[in-house]
Amino acid sequence: MSYEKLFDATVCTESAKAWRASGKKAVGTVCCHVPYEIIYAAGVLPVRLRATGCVDSSDAESWMSSFSCSYARSILQYLMNGTYELDGLIQTDGCMMPTRIFDNWEHVSKKQGKDQFCYQIGAPRITKDITIKYYKNELQGLADALSKLSGTAVTDAGLKAAVEKYNEIRELVAQLNELRKAEKPVVSGAEALAIMIKFGDYTPDEYIALLKEFLADAKNRKPIEGRARLMVIGSALDNPDYLKVIEEKGGLIVAEDNCFGERNFGEKIVVDDNDVLGSIASYYLGRNTCPRSLDNRPAIHKEIIEKAKAYGVQGIIYAKMQNCECWGGEAYYLEPALKEVGIPMLQVEREEQMANAGQLAIRAEAFVEMLDK
Amino acid sequence: MAEARQNFDPTKPVNMIELTCDQVDSIYQHMLSKGMPEIMWTVDIQKFCWEEIRDAHKNGKKLVAFGGPVPVTLLRAFDCVPFFLDTIPTRIASMEDLCSRFIDETEKYAPTSMCAIDKAQLGCALKNEMGVKFDAFVHATVPCDSARIAYPLMERVFDCPCFTFDCPFRHDDKGFQYVADQIEQFVPWLEELTGLKWDDERRAKLKEINEKANKAYEILIQLGDLRKKKPCVLPGRMLVLNEIIAPLAGTDEVITMLQTQLEMGNMLADMGMTATRCPEGQQPYRVCLMQNMLWSNTGIMDWMEKTYGAITVMDGFGYQDGVIIEDLDNWERVKYQTAQSMLLVPMIHGATGPTEYWLRVIDKMYDEFSVNVSIFMGHVGCKHTWASGKIVTDYIQEKYGIPTLYVDVDAIDPRYKSNDELRAQIGEYMESVVGAHNFRKDQ
Repeated sequence: MSYEKLFDATVCTESAKAWRASGKKAVGTVCCHVPYEIIYAAGVLPVRLRATGCVDSSDAESWMSSFSCSYARSILQYLMNGTYELDGLIQTDGCMMPTRIFDNWEHVSKKQGKDQFCYQIGAPRITKDITIKYYKNELQGLADALSKLSGTAVTDAGLKAAVEKYNEIRELVAQLNELRKAEKPVVSGAEALAIMIKFGDYTPDEYIALLKEFLADAKNRKPIEGRARLMVIGSALDNPDYLKVIEEKGGLIVAEDNCFGERNFGEKIVVDDNDVLGSIASYYLGRNTCPRSLDNRPAIHKEIIEKAKAYGVQGIIYAKMQNCECWGGEAYYLEPALKEVGIPMLQVEREEQMANAGQLAIRAEAFVEMLDK
Repeated sequence: MAEARQNFDPTKPVNMIELTCDQVDSIYQHMLSKGMPEIMWTVDIQKFCWEEIRDAHKNGKKLVAFGGPVPVTLLRAFDCVPFFLDTIPTRIASMEDLCSRFIDETEKYAPTSMCAIDKAQLGCALKNEMGVKFDAFVHATVPCDSARIAYPLMERVFDCPCFTFDCPFRHDDKGFQYVADQIEQFVPWLEELTGLKWDDERRAKLKEINEKANKAYEILIQLGDLRKKKPCVLPGRMLVLNEIIAPLAGTDEVITMLQTQLEMGNMLADMGMTATRCPEGQQPYRVCLMQNMLWSNTGIMDWMEKTYGAITVMDGFGYQDGVIIEDLDNWERVKYQTAQSMLLVPMIHGATGPTEYWLRVIDKMYDEFSVNVSIFMGHVGCKHTWASGKIVTDYIQEKYGIPTLYVDVDAIDPRYKSNDELRAQIGEYMESVVGAHNFRKDQ
């Protein structure tokens, strides 16, 4: 079955290569505030960058220092070592680390003599009328620049078609996650994450076809039983092997709340025909993907608790990337809120490289043991 | 072995404001008793700064805590006393016991990698040891991700009306106008907070405050020009004191302090003298500290002066100058230029936007201040500036031919690196790379 390739988390750039070979452009994106729809409407393939499997980011470290987030550093490494061969990079000021991926890649690619379309947009950190208006203007600037790059004008009709395409993906991913609510789901947490991160490896049409194939076959898959239903929250997590370590110790990850899982997709975009770009701006700025914003913490906490209840979660693993400040301070209010509803939380620190798998296994085992009693 | 000095009674809650006022007052009294009138102005300003906060309510004013770049002049026009929360960490950075008390508190809940500027102020808030109750909290979405942990938490801890300025990464017309539009929204919020109207009286008050702020920034520019002279007459540590302009722009007291500094500097220059600790007639090295000021060890600048004749002429995230508001009767221009000044203050101008902005700051410093020693005094909490470090230092090497020393420090937490270790690192660089003579070895 061809959908099996969705479970191979290795970064695969074959689709982007084929896309570019046909004379079209493909650009990388980092962070959840770069709307795929605008890029796609310009006839450009958006490639959500990830760093899965990066075991050595030393070249990037020389640019970003050891004090940087290893996820960001590893993405820069993949750009520098040619794992990703694309036409450019589109970035928001999501948090300070991706901002520096942008700066360093713009600088290094110039030194390497590469012709790159590097474009940064500002994504406000509070959501209200004035900030949505600003963000919309930023998106208009992006749309104009992309139109110039590809020669395809970004029109309302093009944006609506792109929204429809990506909404279909959102719908299918929602179906995937619905499967995880079952008492004995047919998909593990590691498998589900693998499927979701593969989004960045394919064109929308290819990904839709693979998702459909998987969902059609899901009923034939063997149900999985875990000793404790878990949810993983925290910094960007693009490595299913990390979840595998936890699941091998008896945990079953049925939900997650980080920018590579369900949050990367979210609800469908509802388009106002009179303001298509404005609808996209409101959607992307308004959804609570990450505590990079200053006004969404209570809402994020509420959503985590509601999701935990909906998925029958018994315990939460809060995995913070070292040097990730955005996800750094959530425990202060979240932990007591979770305690109130009887959900314990385990805090762990991680790096992009699977450097502390042994320690994670021990802590996960103890956590599962505690929940299983 | 000398007993460590205790800055507070650890068995009792600390009252941060009272404690600071007492400490500043005892320095003041000490200097009075020793008869040091020529430098009293350096303490006068600190006394004013902290006592204004302590006495805000007694004086019938609203006390407004703030973080990041906010329009301080407007706060003052609405009869509020602005309390810049960063002054807590910068004030206590040299006091290991007090600093660790607050930093350790924050680290119970937040990562150790968080910036200690934010850890210290957040810890003070979490322990409820500010010693004052705020009427409001105004903050921005910059400078960094650490602040973005601290501010939302403090909002909830302070439990008072809050206003957030969203500061964009772009420091261009679009960005300035965006912030200016938020200033427009800030005015009715202030009206509601204070019960005062945005009427002719308030506008006149703002004009008066802006005139004073302009004056202060004009002097600051002249002080910058003075530092460009060879030899540099003002010591490195004056750069630290001048940061007090952030909460005090628009007051007479900050004008007096800057004016006195300027007069003294000019007088010394006229006499062919300097107020630095460089050996007489020996000031071969002009240092740029490219990142944050090292508040936890400002004495290192004195040591560099004494030991190598190396004067810190400017710091990368300091005040090179300020925005002068040109048309004080034109509200649209006032808003726009206030927005400009918000996005061009220290730490914001070079560090919150693209690295390219930092390079502009570098050019200004290296071209105008005749820098010949480059030190990346890298605050470990400032991870995003470390992540620009190679671009910046390569640029300096290629354009100015100066190799840069990287030193990792904690600008606030003195426990991170000992004075001896820091001196050894800088000393090795000065002697082996720069080829500096160690004057103290002669003594």
